[in-house]
Amino acid sequence: MATGFLTDTTVCIGCKACEVACKQWNQLPADGYELTGDSYDNTKQLSGTTWRHVAFIENPKKRRLTGDVDLVALAEDVTEQLPGGAELDALGRWAFMSDVCKHCVEAPCQQDCPTGAIIRNEFDNVYIQPDVCNGCGYCVTACPYGVITRVPHDGRAFKCTLCYDRQKDGLEPACAKACPTDSIQFGEVGELERRAEERVAELHAKGYTQAFVYGTPEVGGTGGIGGTHSKFILMDEPETYNLPRHPLLPQAKLNQASAASIAAAALLGAVVAFAFGR
Amino acid sequence: MTDETRNGRVRTSHHPRTDPEREGRDYYGIAPIKEHTWTWEVPVYFWLGGIGAGAHVVSTIARFLGSDDRAFLRASRYTTLLTMVLSPVLLIMDLGRPERFYNMLRIVKWRSAMSMGTWALTIFGLLSGMVAASQAARDGLLGRGNALARLVGALPARSLSILALPFGYFVGAYTGVLLAMTSVPMWARNAVLMGPTFLSSALSTGLSAVSLVLHLGGWGERRTLEFLRRAERMSLAIEAALVAASLVRMGRWSKPLFSKKLAPLFVGGTLVGGLAVPFALLWGRESRPKGVLASVLVLLGGLAFRFAMIEGGRHSARDPQATFTFARKENLPLPQQNVQDGHASG
Repeated sequence: MATGFLTDTTVCIGCKACEVACKQWNQLPADGYELTGDSYDNTKQLSGTTWRHVAFIENPKKRRLTGDVDLVALAEDVTEQLPGGAELDALGRWAFMSDVCKHCVEAPCQQDCPTGAIIRNEFDNVYIQPDVCNGCGYCVTACPYGVITRVPHDGRAFKCTLCYDRQKDGLEPACAKACPTDSIQFGEVGELERRAEERVAELHAKGYTQAFVYGTPEVGGTGGIGGTHSKFILMDEPETYNLPRHPLLPQAKLNQASAASIAAAALLGAVVAFAFGR
Repeated sequence: MTDETRNGRVRTSHHPRTDPEREGRDYYGIAPIKEHTWTWEVPVYFWLGGIGAGAHVVSTIARFLGSDDRAFLRASRYTTLLTMVLSPVLLIMDLGRPERFYNMLRIVKWRSAMSMGTWALTIFGLLSGMVAASQAARDGLLGRGNALARLVGALPARSLSILALPFGYFVGAYTGVLLAMTSVPMWARNAVLMGPTFLSSALSTGLSAVSLVLHLGGWGERRTLEFLRRAERMSLAIEAALVAASLVRMGRWSKPLFSKKLAPLFVGGTLVGGLAVPFALLWGRESRPKGVLASVLVLLGGLAFRFAMIEGGRHSARDPQATFTFARKENLPLPQQNVQDGHASG
């Protein structure tokens, strides 16, 4: 059985409970107290010590909101009627998205790992065995979503384990458990795919036709990756959420690269022989 | 947020960098992929490994074709030995957990360039080490007449060299393939030519190292020096062509190589100092100072090339637009794949 996440960004309220639950359950160290000024996002990105990250995207309708801004007037200035009778004011609308390891079907990090530390476990999740990893850092460059990093001081690479330990005890991952709006759902991948399609169809029917599933072989899990076990329902361009639209499995070109190198070896050998023989 | 918007104004939570109308969207300019964590050991290893591999390839082919210049063989075998002693040290130093380096030898993984490279380096290091040891025994460095010297001296150096040849080629080329099999746009875009380019640089630096040693020591037959000069010229020409083709293939993703930070290294150190100038020096009348200078420039140019490529990858990974424009339908390896244009537009 393959398990995964479905993260429905349309019901995310940006509470960061998933981030906190993940840090607590997995006993991950704090990342410092930097205030970025990038909306309410002080986490910035996924890393070896942050396995869930909530992105905060503000979509103001008026472009230049810096300067002498009358926030009340902006809030009263209805610029657009949204489907379902909702109104959109000039301050625009929030988008939140809880990002996580994509648990690729064909994982670039797993293919590049030279020690075999990165495996697929019995739940078909991409899992780094911490007792095997020797911190070569190759997976860091392999990941097309920027999920894995090498943790300084520790030296090894870490990422979301999809709460392997909790799953073994029949529990859902900490982030899904903590999510108050069920934006993060955990389950069997086929079931999640079905739920995602249903939800997108429902959103389309309500008039939100921009909704789509990210992490399928059509978008987000492309180029030989074959889809991902962490899927997302997005309402905007993937780039807005810092996600690549059509990532590619780097190893898809391994055979071509090897053939080219063999051809070059033959050519250079012939050149050396020619230079010697002349 | 910049200072000009800060003084005396209301600071809203809106961030100009996520302006929906803005061309080329990103998320607060934060890179969507992570940059590599490698330090100076990796480019230096790429350079040394290439030199060792190149020197071995050249001397093995020359020996197979009938060269019996002992000084040439000696110089190339000891050069390879030196690089193969230093290489694993550098690689282990760069690990996050150096004490676990042996985990690299747990498995053989065809899909992982680093796994295959580790095995090629191990086998090439052992075989070329045996060749160098037999050379040392013949040179009397292990003492004369004792059992060890007799045993090591009896190693079939020529057969072992030929056996090591494919692994030498592999060590020279895989470093480029290793960089290509990543999600870093600048490297991945040039996936097919990375291996050949690194291999040609390995050969030219290997040739230069051997010819430098021979020039400095005043060793080697005239015929050998002429052969090395010809081979250097040809391999530099091929390397220049491959670098040019790589830059064309990289297209807009080669930008980091020409940035203010890396242009001196790449344009000055590699294109001009490491390719054009030594190529010019190798034409015309041969002289020892010219030969020495050309070899030194090629060696330094090869080092600059590896630093520029690896640092360039760092800059490439930092640039959100580089990743976003690379992760596009038109860049996928299988165009026939059922890929839609991202999402249903509203």
